[in-house]
Amino acid sequence: MDCNELQARLEQFVDRELSNEEAAEVQAHLDACPPCVRIYHFEVGMRRLVRRACCESAPDYLRARIIEAGR
Amino acid sequence: MSAYAVQGEDGLPTSEPPATGFTEEQAMEHIDALYRTALRLTRNPADAEDLVQETYLRAFRFRDRFAAGSNLRAWLFKILTNAAISRFRHTSRESGDSSLDEMEESDLYAHVAGDGGRGESAEDELLNAVLDVDVREAIEALPEPFRLAVVLSDVEGFSYKEIADMLDVPLGTVMSRLFRGRRILRKRLTDATRSTAA
Repeated sequence: MDCNELQARLEQFVDRELSNEEAAEVQAHLDACPPCVRIYHFEVGMRRLVRRACCESAPDYLRARIIEAGR
Repeated sequence: MSAYAVQGEDGLPTSEPPATGFTEEQAMEHIDALYRTALRLTRNPADAEDLVQETYLRAFRFRDRFAAGSNLRAWLFKILTNAAISRFRHTSRESGDSSLDEMEESDLYAHVAGDGGRGESAEDELLNAVLDVDVREAIEALPEPFRLAVVLSDVEGFSYKEIADMLDVPLGTVMSRLFRGRRILRKRLTDATRSTAA
């Protein structure tokens, strides 16, 4: 697997959507390629950034309204 | 164990489990996730509240159609996304297009891969420089199909298959929307970081 092939599969790798065999190939490339490791960390960081930004809680009155309406 | 004993998710027998349905408490566990997704989709709290309420009312009404033991969270999200999509169809002002086709993946990653000697990784740089509000704005600026895929995968952690089932689209469509949406996001956020750092 070269760097281009790695980059084409990286998102699926981070999303845990590759087969074990494919994931092992990606991992083997990462073990040997520092620039791709940086790209991998960047991808993981992007996911974390998005998740961190989207963490609102529903207001209590909405909860109450729904429970009331559902009865 | 008798042939009639039914097992809960933990493998232990549960007493008189219903074949369908869920409790109010089980459903309400997911309200925060549904609400934050609704916020990204509607882009304002009042509409998000309406969307979540509509989702729950439908869920309670069609409670009997939910097979006990299946994935309640995914089922609720399917109701939410269907309701959101039908709203979008009525009030669509999405272009659905963007100028991303010209942008090569290698260009995008070149700056990340080449950042080695600077002491701080590109990841740290990005995480430190970008404000949550900027991330939310960048997500909300995505065309709707991309936004939905990104939120369902990156925020809510659904698998490609779960998202495909939810949206009734092929797996390949989920992947292309997700990858394209992320590419737009990455570009906006890295551009923002670089202009901040400049």
